[in-house]
Amino acid sequence: MLKGKGYFCVTSADFMRLLIYFTVALLFTFAHQTHAQGLAPGILDGFMKGQRKASLAIMASQETYNTYYINTTETKNPNLGTVTTQALTVVGTYGLGYDLDLIISAPYIRTEASAGYFPKQEGLQDVSGTLRWEAFDYKLGKTRLSWLFAAGYSMPMQEYVSDAMVRLGYGSKNLDGRTMLHYKAGPFFITGQYGYIRRGQVTLDHVVNNYDPSQLNPNSGMKVNVPDVTELIVRTGLVTKRASLDVWGQQQTPRTEGTNIGPGIPFPTNGVGFTRVGTTAWLKLFGKVGITATASTILSGRNTGKSTRVNGGLVLGL
Amino acid sequence: MKTILTPILLSSLLIWLAGCTEPTIDEGILPFNVPSSVDADGGNWRTIVLKSAADIAVPQPLPITSDTYKTELTAIKNGILASTPEQNTAVNYWAVGGVVRWNQIARQLVAKYNVPPGYDYATGQVSPADAANPYAGPPYAARIYALLSVAQYDALVVAWRAKYQYNRPSLERQGVVARVPILDVPSYPSEDAAIAEASCQMLAYLFPNEVNWLKAKATEHKKSRLWAGASVPSDIKAGEDIAIALAPKLVERARNDRFTASTDPANTWQAALVKAPYNQTWKSLEIPERPPILPLAGNVKTWYDSAAIFRALPTAPPATTSAAFQKALSEVRALSDSRTREQWRIASYWENGPNTYLLSGLWNFLAEDLIRQGGQNELRTARTYALLNRAMQDATTATWRAQYTYFVPRPAQLDPAIKTATTMLNTPSYVADRAAVSTAAATVLAYLFPDEATRLSAQATEASLSGLYSGTQYRFDNEAGATWGTLIGQLAVTGAKADGVK
Repeated sequence: MLKGKGYFCVTSADFMRLLIYFTVALLFTFAHQTHAQGLAPGILDGFMKGQRKASLAIMASQETYNTYYINTTETKNPNLGTVTTQALTVVGTYGLGYDLDLIISAPYIRTEASAGYFPKQEGLQDVSGTLRWEAFDYKLGKTRLSWLFAAGYSMPMQEYVSDAMVRLGYGSKNLDGRTMLHYKAGPFFITGQYGYIRRGQVTLDHVVNNYDPSQLNPNSGMKVNVPDVTELIVRTGLVTKRASLDVWGQQQTPRTEGTNIGPGIPFPTNGVGFTRVGTTAWLKLFGKVGITATASTILSGRNTGKSTRVNGGLVLGL
Repeated sequence: MKTILTPILLSSLLIWLAGCTEPTIDEGILPFNVPSSVDADGGNWRTIVLKSAADIAVPQPLPITSDTYKTELTAIKNGILASTPEQNTAVNYWAVGGVVRWNQIARQLVAKYNVPPGYDYATGQVSPADAANPYAGPPYAARIYALLSVAQYDALVVAWRAKYQYNRPSLERQGVVARVPILDVPSYPSEDAAIAEASCQMLAYLFPNEVNWLKAKATEHKKSRLWAGASVPSDIKAGEDIAIALAPKLVERARNDRFTASTDPANTWQAALVKAPYNQTWKSLEIPERPPILPLAGNVKTWYDSAAIFRALPTAPPATTSAAFQKALSEVRALSDSRTREQWRIASYWENGPNTYLLSGLWNFLAEDLIRQGGQNELRTARTYALLNRAMQDATTATWRAQYTYFVPRPAQLDPAIKTATTMLNTPSYVADRAAVSTAAATVLAYLFPDEATRLSAQATEASLSGLYSGTQYRFDNEAGATWGTLIGQLAVTGAKADGVK
């Protein structure tokens, strides 16, 4: 447990600070879990939990869009109106070791369109489990640079409807691998990360019956591939013992071209990407209890809603 | 100090993952069909558009002792030894079955061109339908499959007659080791060339934009049989000539089947709606409203006895004011409010909406497995599809006639709180074409594959209910459709019992 990391043996004040870092980390984790189009095992950040430390957070979010992208073209559809997605997410984090965290999250989602005939969808979405490992930690004067890796897996908790405009998620089982660089100097921090999300196949409710130019043999059955995505995230801000504030940008890019939203096209095969920016604030209330709020919006996208999202939640250190 | 190896390995793994590419849709591999019989009497089977197989004369081939034939045969033998990987791919592709492959090609093209005019919300303009193919909708698809299957079947009956008339021995009987399993029938004329040319010409008429692509496919199909060691060029030429003689007759039928008028350019449907014998009439639920899909497709010429079909036109459903109707409507609403995942699955499975190969295409897909399991040869496969697709087209025509007679509103028109699991076709509700088409299809297939009758009947029942589960159809739509579909299926079965096939 030594491995040159003596500076992680901490005083109680340091410990409190760490706790704060973790709560902030958590907020980021689930701030991004609950997108109705489904998401990766979450945006992680560079703040480690600490050995045998745990926290639990409950987050509520609301996301709306009345414009969406067909491929990259903005579209409004009076047969859809405004789509509103609400989510309640529980996230637990536990420090397995001083350099290894386990993060588990599970959202319950309700999504609904204001016009047209798309039915409301409601239910448990994808449970995800992520291991985050701090591989390196360099001390550069009074600042610190760490290099982390994370691997996650997520899967639907039930066989929800994934082949519809108004849906809970992708319906695929996903593997998520990512690496990040985290730099902290006093209250200032900046984190950059790159991840790859491997999405598994989805079994549609029907035989593949649409036209695909590359489809030489149309007897492809009911399974389709969901395009993998790469993800780039940059976050920066200030963090103290009592509060934190930061801004972030997230870009997801489909690895393969996939299909575009259209009649007859299975939704899971669409290539989905977006550029989202947001800001997050955290405030310690008392003891180990904190609150957080996030607002974010999509600047550009591909086969997804041009949504804005707000969320808030309660974070408990255990 | 921690070893740097692990993070490097992890990074490599990440980069490797990022380097993977994946196709959108995985393609299955089809096994080769091993036919269980040769149907030597196939030349006497009753043709559909031709009066009989004798309508098209096939010239006598050169004897196999002739020098010309010997040269052809030697070239084939040498060709097998020198085949390229591309040739092998083509050989394997077409060896799955010419009729089946062209049916798949037709399904792809239907899915490609079955595009209803869309509305662009950005510009406020309705995007026009493809001028070469303005007919998206179930009647369009059903007609394409029927015409293709009939062309294939008639061409093959003629080919079979000539095969057993001239009895030119198959290449395998002359010592050629073919690359794939070959049906042991006389090789002249080539059944594959007849299928390829008949399918190509029929589809080229139906999809004028695809002529070059279709011709390339047909050429590959014919050549694949040379590369496989199944035929010599004179076999191919004779098969081709059958289709060349047959195609104009099919095109003539297609020109005169009243389908091109089904788009109703003069909007006569509006007058029909006003005098519809029903108390409340359909209106388009699209935003903005659009004319209905192919309003005059109910007038298309039928394959089976049109008098018998239209005598069975169901009477109007109970008026919207009646208790019976209100009960049916509240059933749709109740299902919409508490739809189970399984009901959603059923609705989605049988939907086959716009931009797909449609429900008739799905039944062609489902028949493919039965044909493969049944070990049907090309001729029998063509008969199966010709029976199935004629019945499905007639069932579609019949339901279109009823829809544009009564103009019964969709459930969601009367109760806007009803949400649908699938797209709602821009057509009146009564009679349900999903129910009629599926029941007709299952009736025909159950006759041809009696071992599968129970499963087919269950599928038809599920398909009939699917419209109710999706919230787009009343129970009475489905029941009337299923009854009518059974009757049309029975007409096809009666025809099948008398077409000379044992």
